[in-house]
Amino acid sequence: MKKILLTFFALSLVLSSCEFGEGFEEMNIDPNKASQLDVSNKFASAILKTSGGRYENWRASLIYQSTMIQHLSSTAGYWSGDKYFRSDQYANALWDRYYPDVIKEIEDIRAQLTSEGNSGSEMGMLRILRVFAFTRLTDIYGDIPYSEAGQGYINGILKPKYDAQQDIYMDMLKELEAAVAQIGASTTMGSSDLIFQGNTTKWKAWGNSMMLRLAMRLTKADSATAKAWAEKAVAAGTMTSNDHIAMVQHTDGPAGINKNGHGEVWQADGNARMSKTFMDWMSDDPRLTVLAQRTSDGSTAVADLIGMPNGSDGNSIPDNSIYASLNDDLKGVDVPMVFHSYAEVRLLKAEMAFRGWSVPGDAKTHYEAGVKAAMQMLGSIYPKTAAITDAQVADYLAAKPYDAAKGWEMISEQYWAATLLNEYESFNNWRRTGYPTLTPVNYDGNVTGGTIPRRLIYPVSEQNTNGDNYGAAVARQGADNFTTRIWWDK
Amino acid sequence: MKTKLFNFLSSFVLLFAFGFSVQAQSISGTVTDDNGVPLPGATVLVEGTSNGVSTDFDGNYSINASSGDTLVFSFVGYTTQSVVAGSSATVNVSLQPDNALSEVVVTALGVKRNVKAVGYSITQVDGEELSSNKSTNAINSLQGKVAGVVVTGSAMGAKGSSRVVIRGASSLNGNNQPLYVIDGITINNDNLGAAGMWGGTDYGDGISSINPDDIESVSVLKGGAAAALYGSRASNGVILINTKSGAGAKGIGVEYNTTMQFDILNNSLVDVQTMYGQGRDGVHTTGFANRTFDSWGGKLDGSMKEQFDGVSRPYSYTGDNQDKFYRVGETYTNTISVSTANENSNTRFSATNLDNKDVTPNSSLKRNSFSVNNSNKFGDKISVDVNMKYVLEDQVGNPQMADGPGNSNWPARYFANSLDISTMTGEDGMGALADGTEFGTSENIYLTNPWWSAYKFINSSKKERFIGAVNARYDVTDYLYLRGRLGGDRYSYRKTNSTPYGTRFQPLGSINEQSRNFKQYDADAFIGTDNLQIVDDLSLTAFVGIGTNYQNMEMVSVSGGDFIVPFLINVKNTKNQSTGYNSWEKQIESVYGSAEFGFQDWAYLTVTARNDWFSTLSLKDKESPNNDLYTSASLSLVLSDVIDLGDTVSFLKLRGGYSQVAGGADSPYALSLSYGIYGQGHLGASLGTITGSTIPNSEITPFEKNETEFGFDLRMFDNKLSIDATYYDNETLGDIVGVSASQTSGYGAALANLGNISNKGIELLIKGEIMKTDDFAWNASINYTNNTSKVVATNDAGGNISIGNPRDLETGINVTHIVGEQWGALYGNSYERDSQGRIVHIMQGDIPVPKIGGKKILGFGVAPESIGLGSTFRYKDFNASILVEGKMGGSFYSGTNNWYKVYGLHKDTVPAGGREAGFTPDGVMEDGTVITTSIPMSKQEDYWSQTLNIGEENVGSADYMRLRQLSIGYNLPSSMLEGSFITNASVSLIGRNLLLLSNSSDNVDPESSYAAGNAVGLERAGLPVPRTIGLNINLKF
Repeated sequence: MKKILLTFFALSLVLSSCEFGEGFEEMNIDPNKASQLDVSNKFASAILKTSGGRYENWRASLIYQSTMIQHLSSTAGYWSGDKYFRSDQYANALWDRYYPDVIKEIEDIRAQLTSEGNSGSEMGMLRILRVFAFTRLTDIYGDIPYSEAGQGYINGILKPKYDAQQDIYMDMLKELEAAVAQIGASTTMGSSDLIFQGNTTKWKAWGNSMMLRLAMRLTKADSATAKAWAEKAVAAGTMTSNDHIAMVQHTDGPAGINKNGHGEVWQADGNARMSKTFMDWMSDDPRLTVLAQRTSDGSTAVADLIGMPNGSDGNSIPDNSIYASLNDDLKGVDVPMVFHSYAEVRLLKAEMAFRGWSVPGDAKTHYEAGVKAAMQMLGSIYPKTAAITDAQVADYLAAKPYDAAKGWEMISEQYWAATLLNEYESFNNWRRTGYPTLTPVNYDGNVTGGTIPRRLIYPVSEQNTNGDNYGAAVARQGADNFTTRIWWDK
Repeated sequence: MKTKLFNFLSSFVLLFAFGFSVQAQSISGTVTDDNGVPLPGATVLVEGTSNGVSTDFDGNYSINASSGDTLVFSFVGYTTQSVVAGSSATVNVSLQPDNALSEVVVTALGVKRNVKAVGYSITQVDGEELSSNKSTNAINSLQGKVAGVVVTGSAMGAKGSSRVVIRGASSLNGNNQPLYVIDGITINNDNLGAAGMWGGTDYGDGISSINPDDIESVSVLKGGAAAALYGSRASNGVILINTKSGAGAKGIGVEYNTTMQFDILNNSLVDVQTMYGQGRDGVHTTGFANRTFDSWGGKLDGSMKEQFDGVSRPYSYTGDNQDKFYRVGETYTNTISVSTANENSNTRFSATNLDNKDVTPNSSLKRNSFSVNNSNKFGDKISVDVNMKYVLEDQVGNPQMADGPGNSNWPARYFANSLDISTMTGEDGMGALADGTEFGTSENIYLTNPWWSAYKFINSSKKERFIGAVNARYDVTDYLYLRGRLGGDRYSYRKTNSTPYGTRFQPLGSINEQSRNFKQYDADAFIGTDNLQIVDDLSLTAFVGIGTNYQNMEMVSVSGGDFIVPFLINVKNTKNQSTGYNSWEKQIESVYGSAEFGFQDWAYLTVTARNDWFSTLSLKDKESPNNDLYTSASLSLVLSDVIDLGDTVSFLKLRGGYSQVAGGADSPYALSLSYGIYGQGHLGASLGTITGSTIPNSEITPFEKNETEFGFDLRMFDNKLSIDATYYDNETLGDIVGVSASQTSGYGAALANLGNISNKGIELLIKGEIMKTDDFAWNASINYTNNTSKVVATNDAGGNISIGNPRDLETGINVTHIVGEQWGALYGNSYERDSQGRIVHIMQGDIPVPKIGGKKILGFGVAPESIGLGSTFRYKDFNASILVEGKMGGSFYSGTNNWYKVYGLHKDTVPAGGREAGFTPDGVMEDGTVITTSIPMSKQEDYWSQTLNIGEENVGSADYMRLRQLSIGYNLPSSMLEGSFITNASVSLIGRNLLLLSNSSDNVDPESSYAAGNAVGLERAGLPVPRTIGLNINLKF
C-alpha cells in the first residue's frame, strides 16, 4: 500500500507541475480575422449592400414592386406581385437582407465613429445612408424596428421594439437635418464613398433631397408637417443636376456583391416583360425605344414594342416572346443602381408648386425640368443607351404640355416613369398620390381581393423571435397582410 | 503547455516501446478462454501466498514464482485452474467457462471488464452483426439493435450521413451526436456538408468511412458514468468500436468476404391520383410557360395534346416517373484479410474495396480501406499495440436535397402525371438540347431538368483518411502499470461543385474547387493498477492520467463564375474568380482518474473524476472559468453471488450511479466579435464587415450534464432468459445555446449558457433462448426504449428557440424548443376551428378556403418510443435472422405531401365524385354555417394553394414498423470442405428495409428526412428509402 501511495503522490506532483490550458487564450483568437477594421472598409461594404444583391432586388424590387406598380409583368407563377399572390420568402426578402447586413453594418460603423469621436463629414454621410436604408424598410413594411435595430452586439438588444412609422419619419427628418449640418468641405472616406467619391457637396444635396422626398411622403398623413419640412429642404439646397444623382456604380464582378443586383436577375430570369400599362403610357415617349425591346428579336421599332398585360398566364398568353421586355442596354451587371435621381427632386418641387407651397419657380418649370432630367439621365446612367436630345425633350413637352388642371396627375405619372428600376420609390409615390391610375388584376388565388397591395408582410420569423413587439406593431398598425395601409398611406 | 505535454507523452510512449530492458526472473504467459480469446483481469495467485497479479488487457501476466509453486488461475465465470510451475518460464492457460456468466465488455479507455463490475448500462454489439448484413454507413446497422440508441439514416442514398442520438438530445442546438472511439482513439465525425432549408448536398460523415468488415465489436456507452472518462466530448454518449485483431489466429489465416447488394427504390408508397393531367383551372395548358408541375388540368382522355417541348402526345397517365428516373443501385464489397499470431505478437491486415452505383443516375461511391492491427509483446513487461487505417473514398454525383435547384428528385416526383420523364432526356440522354444547354422542362428556371441535374451538375469529392494509434503498456511492478496512447485522425478532402454552362438558372455556370485538411490528435498517459488486493476481500482497480485532444482544420477554395469557353469545366476558364481561406484550431487538456473497489467479487464501487480545460472557452481577461471538474460514482451488486435466489435465477445484478459530464463550446472563436475583409474590393475600395451572425459572449462557461441511472441484469433458467432494464434521468444545465434573436438585431442568435433540458426514460433488453436442440436453435430478443425529453429552460425570458424550418415558410412551421415541452416541437400554423372542432373557412374571391389559425404545437419530430424485435434461427447448417424495428410517438412535416396537394397529385385533391362534380370543403364559415358552396373544378387548385399556408395539414404521425433486416445463411459443413484448402465457407442471402409493415403517413417513408442536424422532423422530396437485397459469401482459408 505504501508503495502505491508513494507512486500516486509522485504522480500528482508531476501532474501539478503541468499547467493545463496554457496558451489557450491565444489559440482561441481567430488568426484569419481582425478585431476591428478601418471605418472606410466598412463604409464601402455598407453602401454596396444597400444597393443590394440579387436576392432582395429580385424578390422585393422586381417580383413584387415592379409588377404591382405595372412597370413589368410576367406570366410566370412565381412572379407573385403580378397577381398579388402571397409568397412569404419574396415579401420578406428586403427585411431578411437589410437587417442582418445593411442595418447591422451601419449601426456598427455609427458606434465606431461615435467611439472615435467623429462628428464631422463621415458621421453625416453615414447618417444619410442610414436614413435611406431605413426608409426602404419602413415604406414597405410600415412600423419597423428602428431606434433599437441592429444593436444586438452593441447594446445587447435581441428583440428590438417596433417604432411607429410616424415616429420613425419624424426622427429621420431630424437626422437628415443634423447630418447635413455636420458634413464639412471634405471627408476622409474618399475612395470608400461609392456614391459620391468623397464629394461632400453632393452628399449635402442628397441629404436635403431626401428630406424633400420624406417630407412629401407625408402629404396624406400630415400635410402641415410635409409642407414645413419640404420647404426647409428646398431652402437648404437640393440636387441641382443629373450630376447629383445618388447612385452606386457597379462592375461585372468578380463577386456578386460587385454586380448590379437587378443585372444579376436579368442574367438569371427571362420571365419579365414590360407591362402593357407602362408601354401604352410610353407610346409617344422618346424613352420607349431606349427602355424596351421586343423579346423575341430585340427589335426596338416602336410598332414592335407591345407591353404584356399584368395578370397573364401561360394559358392566356402561350407565347410571351412577342412582347417587349427591358432593353438589354439597361440590363448589365455593371450599370449603376440609382438610389435617388435629380428628376424626382424637380418633380416633387413641381408638386410643391402645384400645392402652392413655398418653392422658387412654378410648377410648369419644375415639371419640364423633371421630365428633361428623367429623359436625359438614361444616357448618362447607362453607357450603352443613346442620349435623348434637347430637341426630343422639347418635342415631347410640346406635344404633352403641362396642364395645371391635372397637374398633380401629370407630375406623378412622370415620377412613375422616372423611377423605372427604382421600384421602391415608384411604389411609394403611387401609394401616396394614387397616380397613375392603375387597374388592378383579379387573378385566382390572389390574397388582396383583387386590389393592388399596399405593403408587404413581416417575416414569420418575427412571430417566433420577437413576438411581443411584433404583436404590438400589428395591434397598432393593423393586420399583417398585403392590404393594410401604413401610416403615411392612410 | 501544448508542446510540453506532447513532448512528455511522446517520450513516454517511446520509453515504453523501446527503452526498458526486460526482467526475466519470473513466470509469464497468457490466459485465454477456450476459444483462445485473451482474458484481461484474470487473477494469477501463487497458492498459499498473497503473491498475486492479474492479467493485462491482452491476457498477459507475469509473476515471480519458484519452481514447484502452484499457480492458481481464476476468472469470474470460468472454472479455476491450477498449474504447478516447472522449469519453463512460460505458462499459458486456457480457462473453461463454468457455464455461469463469462461476459467481458469493453469499457471506457478500452479497458475490458467483466460485466459484473460495471455499474452502468453498456450494450455490446458483435461486429458480425454489422458486417453480415451491411449498410454502406456501418453505423446504420445499429438501427433497432440497442435500446436507447436512435439511428437515423439520410434520405440521400448510400453516401449520406447518419444521425445517432443516445438517450435523447441533451443540447438545444449544439452537437447531439455521440463520440466515436476506434481502438481507443477518438475520431472526427463532422458532416461534410449537409442539406438544409435551401438544399445542399450531403457528403457523408466521419463514421461513414469505417469499414464494417473490420469491426470486431461495438460497445455503446450510453450514460454519463460510462462516458466520464472520455471527457466533455462524450457528453452525448460514446460508441466504442474495436477492430479485429489477429489474436487467436493459428498460423496464417486468410479470410475472404464478398457482398453484393442491390438497392431498389421503394416507391410503392406513392399513391397519387392518375385521373387528371397537366393544366390549370381544369383545362390542359400548352406552350412553354405551361406549368409542367400542375396536375390541375382536365380529365385524362388520351387525346393528343401539345406538351412543354411543342410535341403532341396522348393526354394520358404515363406511369410513375420515379420508376423511370431511378435505377437499381448496386454495391459490391470485397474484403480480404490475413491474420497471423504467435506467442508474442499478432497481426491482422485487411483490404476492402467497396464499389457502389447509387439509385440516382450518375451517382456513385468507391471506397478502398486498408487496415493493419498489430500487437506485440516485448518481454513480459511491455506490450505495444499499433492500429492503422487508411481509407480512400471517391464520391461522384451526390444528389441535391431539399430545395436545391439541381435536386432531381423534385421534378421526378412532381411532374404532372400526363408527362413522361423519359421524354425529357434531350439530345444526349442527359437533359441537353442540341446546342448543349439545358433542355428546359418548366417555366420556372429553378426547376432544373432532372436528367441535367443528375448528369451535368458536378458534386463530387475525394477523401483520403488516415487513422492511427499506438497503445503501449509497461508493467512497472506486478501491481502497477503505465500506459501511453497516441492517436491521430487526419484527412484531406477535395471537393468539386459545378453548375454547368448552359443551366437555365445560371446560363454561364460556375465552379467551386475546395480542399480541406483536418487533423486531430489524442494523447494520453496514465498509471494504474488492476485487481490489487488491498486487504482481504477488497480489491482496487484504478488509474490516473492526463490527456489532450487537439483539432485543426484548414480550408482553401477557388471559385469561378461565368465559364468563358462553353463546356470547358475548369476554374481558370471563368470570368469571375475568387478565393477562400479559413482555418481553426481547438484543444482540450484533461486530468482524470478512476478507482474501482471490489468487495468479495460481488460488490463494486467505481468513482471517477475528470477536469477538462477548453480552448474554446478561453479568452484574455475572461472572468469565468474555462475548465470544469466533474465526477461520477456507480455501484454494482451481484446479488446472485451472495443471496440464494433459487434455481430459476442464475444471475442478478443491481446497478446504479450518478454522473456529471461537462462540455465546452463546439466552435472556437465564439467569444469575441471579429471582422474580415471579403471579396476583392470595389472600384478601389476594400470591403470589410463583421463576420458571423451570432452575438459573441465573452463569459461562456462549460455546461454540465448530470445523470442518475438504475438498472438490473437478471438471467434465469440457466441463462436462457435475460432481462436487462435501465431507468435514467439526466439533465443538461447551462447548455451553450444560440438564444434566438430577432434578425432585426442584426444577428440570428446570441451565445449564452442558458439551455436546460432533461431526458428520462427506460431501456429494456430481453433476450431468450426459446429452443435449442442439436439441430435447431431459436433465439429471440426485444429491445425497447421510451425517452421523455423536456425543455426546462431556453433563455432568461423563457422564449422559444427556433432551430430550423422547412423551405415552405408559408406553413409557419419552425422546429422549436418550447419551455415545458418535449425537445424540438413542430410549431406552426394550425387550422382555425370552432368550438366543435370544425375547420373555419373564409371566402377568398368566391370560394371558401380554410382560415389560417394561430401557431400551435403540431407534433414533435423525435419519436419517444422505439422498439426492435430480433430473432435468430439455426437448423443444422442453415441459419436465419430477422430484425423488425419501429418508432412510435413522433411526427413529421411532409413537404412532399404538401406539394402533392398544391400540384394536384395528391389523392385528397380528387373529391369523391371527381373534380367535375365540385368540391365542398368539410367545415364551417366564420358565422358558423356549414359550408354548402361547391368549389368548381376550375378553382379547386386555389383551395389547395391555401392549405400550403397551414402547417397542420401536412404534419402527421411518423410511426412505422419495418422489416429492417432479414438474412438466410448456410454454412458449408466441414465434411464438404475436407481436402480443400478452405476451412470454413458460408453463404447468405441478405435484405435490408424490405418492407414497411406499418406506416402512418401517406406517400412517403417517415424516415426520408433531409437533415442530419437538430431540425428533426422535416421531410421534403427526399429519396425514398430503398429496399436492399444481396448475397454474402465468406470463405476462410
